Amino acid sequence: MSTDESTDESTDESTTPLLEVTDLRKSFGDQEVLRDIDFTVEQGTVTVLLGPSGSGKTTVLRSLNALEVPDAGVVRIEDVEVDFGQARSRRDADRDLARLRRQSAMVFQAHHLFPHRTVLQNLTEGPIHAQGRPEAEVVPEARVLLEQVGLADREDAYPSQLSGGQQQRVGIARALALKPRLMLFDEPTSALDPELVGEVLGVMKDLAAEGWTMVVVTHEIRFAQQVADQVLFLDDGVIAERGPASQVIEDPREARTRQFLHRILDPL
Amino acid sequence: MTHRRRTLALLMAWGALLLGLVAPAAAEEPAPAATVVRVGTEGTYPPFTFHDPDTDELTGYDIDVIREVGKRAGWDLQFVEAQFDSIFPALDAGRIDVIANQISLNPEREAKYAFSTPYTFSQGVIVTAADTDDITTLEDLRGKTMAQSSTSNWAQVARDAGGDVRSVESLAQAAELLEQGRVDALVNDNIAVLDYLAASGSTDVKIAGVVEGEETQQALAFAKSDTALRDQADQALADMAKDGTLTEISESYFKADVSVKDGGGEADLSGRDSDKGSWQVVQDATGPMLKALVQYTITLSLLSMALGLVLALLVALARLSTRPWLHWPARAFISLIRGTPLLVQLFIVFYGLPQAGIKFESYPAAVLALSLNVAAYAAEIIRSSILSVPKGQSEAAATVGMGYALTMRRIVLPQAARTAVPPLSNTFISLVKDTSLASGILVADMFRVAQNYAGATTEYLPLYTLAALFYWIVCAVLSFGQSRLETRLERHTL
Repeated sequence: MSTDESTDESTDESTTPLLEVTDLRKSFGDQEVLRDIDFTVEQGTVTVLLGPSGSGKTTVLRSLNALEVPDAGVVRIEDVEVDFGQARSRRDADRDLARLRRQSAMVFQAHHLFPHRTVLQNLTEGPIHAQGRPEAEVVPEARVLLEQVGLADREDAYPSQLSGGQQQRVGIARALALKPRLMLFDEPTSALDPELVGEVLGVMKDLAAEGWTMVVVTHEIRFAQQVADQVLFLDDGVIAERGPASQVIEDPREARTRQFLHRILDPL
Repeated sequence: MTHRRRTLALLMAWGALLLGLVAPAAAEEPAPAATVVRVGTEGTYPPFTFHDPDTDELTGYDIDVIREVGKRAGWDLQFVEAQFDSIFPALDAGRIDVIANQISLNPEREAKYAFSTPYTFSQGVIVTAADTDDITTLEDLRGKTMAQSSTSNWAQVARDAGGDVRSVESLAQAAELLEQGRVDALVNDNIAVLDYLAASGSTDVKIAGVVEGEETQQALAFAKSDTALRDQADQALADMAKDGTLTEISESYFKADVSVKDGGGEADLSGRDSDKGSWQVVQDATGPMLKALVQYTITLSLLSMALGLVLALLVALARLSTRPWLHWPARAFISLIRGTPLLVQLFIVFYGLPQAGIKFESYPAAVLALSLNVAAYAAEIIRSSILSVPKGQSEAAATVGMGYALTMRRIVLPQAARTAVPPLSNTFISLVKDTSLASGILVADMFRVAQNYAGATTEYLPLYTLAALFYWIVCAVLSFGQSRLETRLERHTL
């Protein structure tokens, strides 16, 4: 099965993909960090972005919620579409970016929990204050999410009182509390001690099984193999290879993909 | 609980604001009646204008004269006390209507102001340390260091004699410098000097000679255009001279009639000698000083800090903005305020702006100038505190759906507060002490009251030590509050 066919197949199954990225470009000064980035993500699937550091995978992910603003290209999440190349007033641009951002939620490498809020407040901050939903509805939901990530007994703790793995699980629960269409993970286990990685990946696997649509930047090859429906390999600002994990990871066609996987799996 | 934490910073700011608003409102003068006449006077120049150490009442020869004039002319008097060098600017700015402060007539002043008929005739004298014997005439003053109020006519006499004039705020201060050997001589009015010698009991200074040709006349000074008030005063003074009231007032202070030419030669002020000990003076001063501390020093500090913080936050956010029309004015404001002395800012607001048609009373003027000053310093503190919050916090706030205002209010500022509290407390503590500068724009703050008592009793060391103690207590309380606040803001970082 070829890369292109796999994408076409899923397009045939459901009517339109949840996420569609068309011709994304981005430069920092003279340096072009992204070009010709095109891909789609189907509802309920997991897409893993792999690639060496500096390849642009985090920039792609952060373009999906406009934490980085691309120079050109279109990002559409469900019914919200932003054409970054289009000239707009600052006010219109800010409004469009905010609308796009509301479609997704993000889990950061360094968790970025709000240190001055308790665990429970970290979850309810967005739903209550940004989304304006009633506290009486949000708080019970947040408690369910904390239970789901195994932290039901820590709701009154502050982030600084938790271990790294617990902090990252709160980060995931905080993202879920927003009820996003799309979950974005930016190297969620890279900053963790090795023995804590498993608990976070475990939660992510559960989410995939529940049918969450996820885009994940990670170096965890085994996670990609087990969970990813689609793997995008980025190198030097372009998608060098794409396809199901079974193909991209186990039988890569591109030399640079093989080289990268070799370095990751056998660093010595 | 959530609510309380969320609004902690705001509550504090508003609490301080309310406290500040209530106190000065209570301190305001009663609403003026028909012919209100505001009288500018030093209050630290015995026996002419000073506070009775027993009652803290404003009294003195000039005060009794203007009270009697006011009574006869049907004026409702309001006394505005300020150091001498602020009095003429206050008259120029229309903040007072008349000066009753032994204002000597001279051609420059007569060109600029309207004067009543004189009510004091006095003789200029040269004062030196008791053991100085090479200064007896004006000629001897050439090259000598002299202490004078810079805008008084005696300063001009000293300058004309070739003296090197150092500015002081009162005769008592000048005499103190003389006793301490910091200056060589001073010239002043013989009556004022006799009073000083009697009140202080000082044997360290002496009248070394008379200023030849400096028989001076003192009168009430009005704005040049205010001849109606002046004419009423002249009428009253003429009546008082005729029926003996003026002589009576003079004799009660000087045991001589200084209101007529050559009448003051035998002035005897020995009755003024107060045998009160330092301890008694300190006890007398404590109450009025505490009252001024609460009424002015503390309310000025709280109100200026609260307004200054609100303004500082806006300036800091403008300074951080990428929009040039917000960014550059904020930078300019910070640069201007930090680059100029607070005293100059106070004077621009109080004495300068009226010439541009913008007039504030002393208290609001002090609040305005102090708030602007605090705002510039605090803006830089707040800006750097905001920058110290990791960028990831704003990004995380954006991904949970927060816009700029919500991110600032709920995520960034609460974290920046922890960083900002120690340097902001420093600013606050400086502000408390800087309120003493407001006495320069006619605010009768705590230090001003201490100066009044010091002027009347010459008990400098105990009174200024008491003032220092009061400032220290206020600042110590603030420091305690600061550490409590820090602990509270730190509770989530174990």
